[in-house]
Amino acid sequence: MQRYIIRRLLLAIPVVWLVVTMVFFVSHVRPSRAEQLAATCQLSKDICARNKAAIQKQLGEDKPLIVQYVRYVGNLLIGDLGKSLTAPYNPVRTELGNRAGPSIELGLLQIILATIIAIPVGVMAAVRQDSWVDYVLRILSIGLLAIPTFFLAPLLLLFTIKVFNWTPQLNQTAYRSLFQNPGRNLSIMLLPTLAGAFASSAAIMRLLRSQMLEVTRQDFVRTATAKGLRQSVVVMRHTLKNAMIPVITIIGLLTAGLIGGNVVLESIFNIPGIGLYLVTELQLNDLPVVLGVVVAVAVVIVLTNILVDVAYAWFDPRIRYS
Amino acid sequence: MANANTSVSADTVAALAEPEERFTPKRFKAARDFFAHKPLGVFGLAIIVVLGLFALFGQYIAPYGPETRFSIAPQATAPAGNTNVDDVSCNTPDCTAKAHGSAALDFSNRGPSSAHWFGTDEGARDTFTRVIRGARRSLGVGLGSLLIGTFMGVVLGGLSAYVGGKFDTATQRVMDALQAFPPLLFLLLLTAVGQPSITIITIGIGIVATPQISRIARSTVLQVRALPFVEAAQVIGAPDRRILVSHILPNIWAPVIVIFTIGVGAGILAEAALSFLGVAPVGVSWGFMTFKGTQFIKQAPGEAIFAGAAISLAVLGFNIVGDALRDVLDPRLRAR
Repeated sequence: MQRYIIRRLLLAIPVVWLVVTMVFFVSHVRPSRAEQLAATCQLSKDICARNKAAIQKQLGEDKPLIVQYVRYVGNLLIGDLGKSLTAPYNPVRTELGNRAGPSIELGLLQIILATIIAIPVGVMAAVRQDSWVDYVLRILSIGLLAIPTFFLAPLLLLFTIKVFNWTPQLNQTAYRSLFQNPGRNLSIMLLPTLAGAFASSAAIMRLLRSQMLEVTRQDFVRTATAKGLRQSVVVMRHTLKNAMIPVITIIGLLTAGLIGGNVVLESIFNIPGIGLYLVTELQLNDLPVVLGVVVAVAVVIVLTNILVDVAYAWFDPRIRYS
Repeated sequence: MANANTSVSADTVAALAEPEERFTPKRFKAARDFFAHKPLGVFGLAIIVVLGLFALFGQYIAPYGPETRFSIAPQATAPAGNTNVDDVSCNTPDCTAKAHGSAALDFSNRGPSSAHWFGTDEGARDTFTRVIRGARRSLGVGLGSLLIGTFMGVVLGGLSAYVGGKFDTATQRVMDALQAFPPLLFLLLLTAVGQPSITIITIGIGIVATPQISRIARSTVLQVRALPFVEAAQVIGAPDRRILVSHILPNIWAPVIVIFTIGVGAGILAEAALSFLGVAPVGVSWGFMTFKGTQFIKQAPGEAIFAGAAISLAVLGFNIVGDALRDVLDPRLRAR
């Protein structure tokens, strides 16, 4: 097991290196910050050129691209993700640390709600296979998978306005963390949680249903039924427990995707998470921030993948790693 | 007794019919299964066909021009005072604010009416027209990106399975790296590079779709390559190219076409998300309409609802056709 974990971590190194390299060179296709400033420079040619050179030197852009690349990778190795180019010029790592909280909270809330909805629904659809309950739930889930979150969110907003005459506070300064003001935090998180949870729950439910049906056909379940156990015991203890193993995988992967992928919901509801940070700085052309966020999220996803595979072995002793 | 008799005769009929079945080509059988046993899939196909017609012939179907701005002269409402302005419609595309000058009454953010089935947007343009005309961009980017992604995925996945060795390992690591990005993050990064155009977005979504398709192509080729007829072809000295093209390729298209169909839905979603975030080029686009409509959702929810519903319907159509195709074409993959 230990050897397996170490081998997986070593295999992750080239993947992360490829991610960093791809992101670095792709993002340097565009004109640099210094070139952009020079393009809008109103002063005399001489001064403009000198300004440009000064800025390039300050940002390290006067060196050839390959030198910049080596320096960037070197900085990454010591945990330095670079500095924002826009006020207040914070290091990206500090900024990510401050903004990780809301993103992680939103992602976790969504996945918890999605799991709570999906497990009973998935079990019910599997137990009543091919009945009308099954059909309704399946059609509902395939429908929910088709609705984009950025459409579901405004619909929910409209619903709360029309029915409860209530909207969460959406302005940028309204957000408080869970510890500062739990009531306001949760009232802001409510709608994005719902909007994000439905699609994930549909995905989990579909997988759980198919896994339940797969397990139900196996001999040990037939044995359990044949020896006279109650159906609820067979379903819960024999079928569900074994069907959950691949479901846990997809829950893990969804969580990683949600934490980095709530870009749209964070910008609709003005939640100061990583996604909103990325979109804001993207519009300001802030390259180090965009690079840093993408690299950080990709590393988190690679690590989550490994974690999920390891968890697999823990949940299912039949799986052997060599 | 009577029961037994009928069942025997039914069996006989089936047995008699069998030789004929054997000559029906496989793909026609799949098509027949699809239409006979998959009502939901047929429904999805109908959605795709209608949206496809909108995308191809939108300019002839839509009642107005996509940029036509509507207004009515102030005197039209003046006499009655409370006249329902929605009844006073502009029936010609020329009937614009310009014709009536700046004093014309604003026709923006109206609810549905007989002249404007889906209402109008904040620029007083007909939402029904814009929903129809938006189909071209969504379907175009969705289909185009998945064609690119499928081509790259099949070539890379197929080659890496067939060639194996170092090439296989290298390709797989690159695919791992691509899959480490959440798709939207990767696309945002791409659009940040230079001027985002429809072409860049289409290629970007194609790249995002590649890893999954290459995985499926790779595993299918590995299975097919182990089958006796490939070995037989190798024994009689067939060149690699012929084995790949005429023996392996025809046997992997079933899973590929399923993942392609479902992928188109995901591609449409990705394009809509980019348009919603405002990083795609401007134009008549469902995602951007949803974004604009959301700004006015309290006063005029029509635009957001109809544009969002159009996205959802398109994605739903491709998803359920993909599901039905999977059941029909490739029972091994069936999500029971």
